[in-house]
Amino acid sequence: MLAHAILSGLVFGCYFTLVGLGLNLIFGVMRIVNLAHGDVVMLGAFAAFWLFALIGLHPLISSVIVLAAFALLGLPVYYLVVPRLLAARDSEMLSIILFFGVQQIIEALATIAFGTSERSIPGRVLGRGPLHVLGQTLPVAWIVSAAVSLLAVALVYLYLYRSRVGTLTRAVMVSRDEALASGIDVHRVSALAFAIGVALAGLAGVFSPFMLGSATPAMGGDVNLAAFAVIVIGSLGDPRGTMLGGLIYGVALMLMQTYMSAWANLLPNLLLIAVLLVRPTGLLGRQVRRA
Amino acid sequence: MLRRIVVCLLAIACVAGARGAWAQQSRPADERLGGCFDGYLDKAQTAQATAPQPGEPAAPAEIRIGHLHASSGPYASISMPVYLGLKLWVEQMNAGGGVMVKPFGRKLPLRLISYDDQSNPGTAATLTNQLITQDKIDLLIADSGSVLTAVSVPIAREHKMFLFDPTGTGAAFFSKDNPYIALLADPVSTVWPRFLWEFLKSDVAAAGLTRVAILYSTNDFTGTQAAAIRAALKAPGSPVQIVFDQGVPTSTSNYAVLIDNIAAAKPDVVLELGYVGNDIAFLRNLQESGTKFPMVFTLYPGIETSTLLKNAGQAGLSGVFSYVTALAYSYPPEVGMTLEQFRDSWEKSYAKSGVEFGWNAIAGYVTGLVLGQTLACTNSLAQLDVRKAVFSLSGKLKTLIGTFELNEQGAQIGELTPIGQIAPEGKDGIHFTVVYPPAMANGKPIFGTK
Repeated sequence: MLAHAILSGLVFGCYFTLVGLGLNLIFGVMRIVNLAHGDVVMLGAFAAFWLFALIGLHPLISSVIVLAAFALLGLPVYYLVVPRLLAARDSEMLSIILFFGVQQIIEALATIAFGTSERSIPGRVLGRGPLHVLGQTLPVAWIVSAAVSLLAVALVYLYLYRSRVGTLTRAVMVSRDEALASGIDVHRVSALAFAIGVALAGLAGVFSPFMLGSATPAMGGDVNLAAFAVIVIGSLGDPRGTMLGGLIYGVALMLMQTYMSAWANLLPNLLLIAVLLVRPTGLLGRQVRRA
Repeated sequence: MLRRIVVCLLAIACVAGARGAWAQQSRPADERLGGCFDGYLDKAQTAQATAPQPGEPAAPAEIRIGHLHASSGPYASISMPVYLGLKLWVEQMNAGGGVMVKPFGRKLPLRLISYDDQSNPGTAATLTNQLITQDKIDLLIADSGSVLTAVSVPIAREHKMFLFDPTGTGAAFFSKDNPYIALLADPVSTVWPRFLWEFLKSDVAAAGLTRVAILYSTNDFTGTQAAAIRAALKAPGSPVQIVFDQGVPTSTSNYAVLIDNIAAAKPDVVLELGYVGNDIAFLRNLQESGTKFPMVFTLYPGIETSTLLKNAGQAGLSGVFSYVTALAYSYPPEVGMTLEQFRDSWEKSYAKSGVEFGWNAIAGYVTGLVLGQTLACTNSLAQLDVRKAVFSLSGKLKTLIGTFELNEQGAQIGELTPIGQIAPEGKDGIHFTVVYPPAMANGKPIFGTK
């Protein structure tokens, strides 16, 4: 039981890394809190569902389409909303209010458009039968979802640490004002980061029916809570921290389900409180400040 | 900055307003059933009911029905079908001129005031209070499901307002000192699983399957069902042994580890008791994990069959045991539409609503039927008279879900659902074989198929 819980937790944690990654990137670069992140994940789930239901598109192909479409969607949203938000005196607080409104709008429109019933894509689409890993059996759909998540994390890492625009992005992360003073086109860099963040949320949505059972317009709230727990554990603004946070969250969730199942939904809150009390900057917080 | 905050708040308010307007649509329509319940009110009473009596109070312009529903949140998928089923009944009644209201001796139009609590119990409590104190409703109907009904029960009782409870089956709602509630369209949770535990202790045990695992969501609905089953299986002389018994939060969406934990206990029978989302996740994870159990029982394949079939698929449902509701077992109604008629009406009205037709849609319609019969029989709209009228229907009212029967606390003890097993049908379809009780069975259980 313990081995299965830990292994499942690690796989599940990889997926939750992907869920939190976009949120963390947006916060890290722009210092705005995207409360609509979970609802973007939901939109990604419904996009994949409809692409599968209407034209039978494989989720892996859908993921590429969703990634591109959501990135393109993110760009105009950035220019419409974020520059004005960043010009405000307290952009963090204001972003919470603004994106809370956006979240409500997305959920309401999705409910009207899609109805309230659960939707999902058959797990067999990603591969039949369970896989045997280290003596434990895991659904193939989990392994595929985790593999895609790891690939996304790796690509984000390469983008941030092995590309010129990634270097500029990290400069904006460290100090927006200094980046601006040194001639970096902060809005261009931020818009790109915002688009990537939205695209990553959409990508996480594509695999949510496989990891979370089904998708509904109401799923955004729970996804948000998990995503916040993941990025606060790791540290706000650091993708490596998100990976660490995702794995800790996944393993802790599975251990809770195994040994204290009735209390498992308290986990995100407990982890958030524990991290904020013991290490408010997150486990990798110090490194972020010096990045 | 202040301007931006105001704009944000306005945006939020607009969304809430639009949702409210959408939710509160109510149109006037007619009672096709007419007058008091024909089955047990004699002709003299019926004639008396239709003629205005001297000294009667002036008839109101309309009967105001207060109701809550959840258009979003975790309970939307069980709440919206109830709301739309009820709305369909109201529209049908109003289309025929209203519903017969005995105290006023004539038909009156119905006005359905239904607020959206967004699956939030706190909001549901506030809105229940608002319906009673501000909207001055004549009749109060709770939201669907035990979680959202739970908050309305004490408020209705405090205001001495009778609560029509469509599907809130938690046993704690019903007590001898609370005359202001009746459960309409689902059996109370302590009684509902009766056929299940009898089946486990008889046919299943006789087949050598005696080790039972119970996995339930920790809410009033499934928690009470689990407690009732547990008590029955632990009763002296029971041939069944419980080898796994754990609760999980209702928000649980992943069961892979739990399935592994259950398998470690080596049960013959697994009972998974959850809401729609729980059952979907459990059955998908079970199928994907490759784990097999001789018998698996879950609640919602028989309750929201269409939704479960779309999400868990034919392969995921085949062999599973579940309750067999009116969706798959025909009860000839003496009042209201048959299942086929109701399904046709639903499809005409809500085919594109995104809300699936299922048991909860029927429950909403049955709630309307009980309301109509109550108004046709009550001596006044005083709440204790309303209660008396509701209880007078007990054991006599037969709808498309069976016989409406209340115990003295207002808990539904009729409308019991038999136990069935799902078998594949055609390329993607399924059908139920009723396996218990023997008087209703049309086939034998096949163990070891899941």
